Amino acid sequence: MGLGTFIARRILTFIPTLIGVLLITYLIAYAIPTDPVRAWVGEKLMNPQTLEQIKAKYKFNAPWYEQFAFLVQQLLTGQLEDPIRHRNVFDEISNRFGVTVEVAIVGFLFLVAIGIPLGLLAAIYKDTPIDFAVRIMALVGSSLPSFVLYYFLILLLFTQFRTTYLAGIPEPSLTCRLSIASWPESIPVLGHIGAALGKVPMFAGIMCGEFDVVGETFKRLYLPGLALGLLNGGFIARIVRNSLLDALSAEFITYAKARGLRKLSVWKHALKNAMVPVVTVLGLNFGGLLSGAIIAETVFNIPGIGRYMYEAILRLNFPVIIACTFLVALVYVTINLVVDILYAIIDPRIRY
Amino acid sequence: MDFIYILLKKIIWKYAGLREKISPGWIQKNSSRIREWELMAYAYSRSPIGVLGGLIVFVTFILAVIGPMISWEPYWEYKIIINESYRYMPPCLPPSCTGSPLLGTDEWGRDIIAMSLYGIRISFVISIVVVVLGAPLGIILGLIAGYKGGVVDEAIMRITDIFLAFPGLVLAIAFASVLPQRIRGALESNSILRAFFAGLFGLREAEYAQIAALLSIWLAMVLVWWPGYARIVRGSVLSIREMPFIEAAKLSGLSTWSILFRHVLPNVISPVLVMMTFDIATATLFAASLSFLGLGPQEPVPELGFLISKAGYYFPERSSHVVAFLGIILLVMALGWNLLGDALRDILDPRTRRAIEYRMEKEKKK
Amino acid sequence: MEGKLELPEGVVLKVEDLVVKFYTYSGVVHAVSKVSFYVKEGETVALVGETGCGKSVTTRALTRLIESPGRIEEGRVLFRRRNGEVVDLLKVDFETLRQIRGNEIAYIFQDPTSALDPLYTIGFHIHETIEAHVGKIPKKETLRRGIELLRQVLIPSPEVRVKNYPHEMSGGMRQRSVIAISLSNNPRLLIADEPTTNLDVTVQAQILDLLEKLQEQYKMGMILITHNLGIVAEVADRVYVMYAGKIVEEGKTEQIFYNPQHPYTKLLLRAVPDPTKKIEKLESIPGVIPSLINPPPGCRFTDRCPYAMDKCRREEPPLIEVEPGHKATCWLLVKRG
Repeated sequence: MGLGTFIARRILTFIPTLIGVLLITYLIAYAIPTDPVRAWVGEKLMNPQTLEQIKAKYKFNAPWYEQFAFLVQQLLTGQLEDPIRHRNVFDEISNRFGVTVEVAIVGFLFLVAIGIPLGLLAAIYKDTPIDFAVRIMALVGSSLPSFVLYYFLILLLFTQFRTTYLAGIPEPSLTCRLSIASWPESIPVLGHIGAALGKVPMFAGIMCGEFDVVGETFKRLYLPGLALGLLNGGFIARIVRNSLLDALSAEFITYAKARGLRKLSVWKHALKNAMVPVVTVLGLNFGGLLSGAIIAETVFNIPGIGRYMYEAILRLNFPVIIACTFLVALVYVTINLVVDILYAIIDPRIRY
Repeated sequence: MDFIYILLKKIIWKYAGLREKISPGWIQKNSSRIREWELMAYAYSRSPIGVLGGLIVFVTFILAVIGPMISWEPYWEYKIIINESYRYMPPCLPPSCTGSPLLGTDEWGRDIIAMSLYGIRISFVISIVVVVLGAPLGIILGLIAGYKGGVVDEAIMRITDIFLAFPGLVLAIAFASVLPQRIRGALESNSILRAFFAGLFGLREAEYAQIAALLSIWLAMVLVWWPGYARIVRGSVLSIREMPFIEAAKLSGLSTWSILFRHVLPNVISPVLVMMTFDIATATLFAASLSFLGLGPQEPVPELGFLISKAGYYFPERSSHVVAFLGIILLVMALGWNLLGDALRDILDPRTRRAIEYRMEKEKKK
Repeated sequence: MEGKLELPEGVVLKVEDLVVKFYTYSGVVHAVSKVSFYVKEGETVALVGETGCGKSVTTRALTRLIESPGRIEEGRVLFRRRNGEVVDLLKVDFETLRQIRGNEIAYIFQDPTSALDPLYTIGFHIHETIEAHVGKIPKKETLRRGIELLRQVLIPSPEVRVKNYPHEMSGGMRQRSVIAISLSNNPRLLIADEPTTNLDVTVQAQILDLLEKLQEQYKMGMILITHNLGIVAEVADRVYVMYAGKIVEEGKTEQIFYNPQHPYTKLLLRAVPDPTKKIEKLESIPGVIPSLINPPPGCRFTDRCPYAMDKCRREEPPLIEVEPGHKATCWLLVKRG
């Protein structure tokens, strides 16, 4: 079986997953006994006429399957409207998701920068105090309540040393944003991709040549990134260590030495074999970050997708909840697909 | 450390004696299993990480049991009503200052050490019950999926996938915003239920509305907790399904259930036990996170995550001592389970077991 | 530095008093104790013995392939390089050793499945083995060489197979691939650890033929590790019998087969069924190999030896030359002499 068939088959299994997620979201929403319309409009503005209007608009009087079909149809055609802000849900989501992508990228960089070198060190200095220290770091990292770490990092690096700030998200200039927004009209396919990528402020900055946006973004977001790296870096390091040690003790490494390979080539064999589990864990971690770190977004005051979802749930804002859950599920299956493909590229045995 | 080994050995033999009384001949039939347990006890007693973890878990367990009883301040009495200056009093360490609470007070002027005693009980109960209820659900589904294969497997795994793809926090938040009202109704009308859960969490029955909030977090967590177990168990089952001893059990006419529980489960249980231990730590933190987001119980319940989130508004000027102290409590509670899990992973790993066996024999000779 | 090392004419490898120990949690394992042997150019030397007697460890120690917790404690391994220079492999610097490994001394590992890296093709294994010793070389060239090697080891349609990953091949095919990889650089000494166990008898014979042909062509010496005495009789020039980390008997193949001296060799030969006679009962050697942690002070075979005496338990027997080139370590021989 080729790589193509493999990918196609994996994509097919995602469809039921996505439908299932939507259905569950909807059922949860439907099972909520309170009247969502009241929550949307607010008691003060309530009058029977607007109430009926809204009910009719969202088909609240229709049977549940019709409501569901209506929501899904609106979701897939991109027409879903936020009943509280009276805006297209996707505009809001794409702006906020851009920020979440930035947080995820910064966090992921810290995760890799902390986890992989420490893992290599622990493997090389196996059973020494260094190895033990990494083990303890992994255990403490996964035992720390994230919000407490966030508070103390803020205390140290913001309150004491002012190395960062906690308001707003750096954005490129208005001309830059406008020009990117106009790309789809002038360039057929690439323009759309460019515009989509441009929703991430950092990428837009790069595309317009305003590189200071990237620097500013890192200044603004390095604190949550560092925190996420500290919380999960030890765990990643342990995975790196264990898989590298497994690979190094394999017979084919001795055979590689027996064939007189240079040290570098021998390490190439070991590292590539150790990569499979590491790629999986890193992929899932990145997926988790992309789904929005709600607590980090709350504490660091970042307008990302996690907080949007959280606020939507508190106000029973179903169109937003459905769109967000769909996005999170989509991220999950996409990341899984990417991990699977990387897997298959690294390890030819997986393709079967 | 010898003391721990001797203690564990005593427990093992007490248990064996009990089984022997119920069904004579049990000890003889299971001598190899008892030996295996002894070996594990030995390995555990030699692992400083494991012993430390066990000690922490034991201490938190004791505190969770007696905490609400020995707490010297009722959580429902707000000192700030008497005097606003009681709010977020700073720590008061003995030589320079006496009389006021040692580590200061919280939002409502209550001694935070006394409050943490209630909080430990709540966190402990939630984390244990979530894992103890969630894991079996996943284990059973994983066993069935792996053993039956085919359409059943495909269906169960698709459902598992849906739950894995579903943002767990959304489910938890949705539950937390919907369920409390219903549970509150049930608690209101049923006094036995009310007394039971109040006793379980160490709270007053009057707080039944808050207990309902706790229970809904609970249910939400149980619901998002099982898919991991289903996956790991299914994987292990697939690898042992074709083994001769399973084939033999089938041929001897055992029912599917007894094959699953008597022959398959014992062979896949080790990684699950390790995962459960780690997961109790994760559940402790997850529950605290939900309350931190304001989805759990509200005042006056001294839930740790909730108290920290309240203190967050005044952080760091007035309340860093509350965040630090309660944060450390959460950290230590989770760390205990994580240390224990890490040690358990080594102990249950057959690769390291042989090494331990050798060492034990050598020490016996001395 | 000591003076120039020398080897007798025609000898490619000479091992003297090699000692390898493993420092494990349960104690020091004396895996190889004072083992000495030599290999001449173009000669096939068989190393026979039961599983776990230290055959593989001995050969791996020759190029210092022993991993922690194992340690090479004593001994000399003299090797004559292609340019005629004689070196002690236990003393040379790492880079020289690396250049000798896989180039002048090649190994065929016992288990082909674990010896091959699952993430790379057979062709790549050959490519990197060549590249490590001749420097940068275009893939095309090594590919051609790879196909030729695979054809030599009788792999059908080598043009296709060279691009295969290990998991795409059968066990026998993998074994032959490992042989091909090991032969990439025409080594002067080939160490073959059970090279034909996974092959059926016809292929086995063909492979052995091939190895013999290569030996003549390149004057390649070969150390053959096996417990198949049939193969030994067929291809080996000389035999070393190993027991519990020691060599107990050595000699020309005919000497060993027709005139075995050590009780262990005798029992070993008797355990081979003779196809010309009716088999009543398969013979086996009673007992097990003694623990190599704190081995008994005397002869290590004492516990299983039908002729064991008190002296065997106390003192180690000396090496006695029975006839030219045929030696054994046994107290029985001393008494007789």
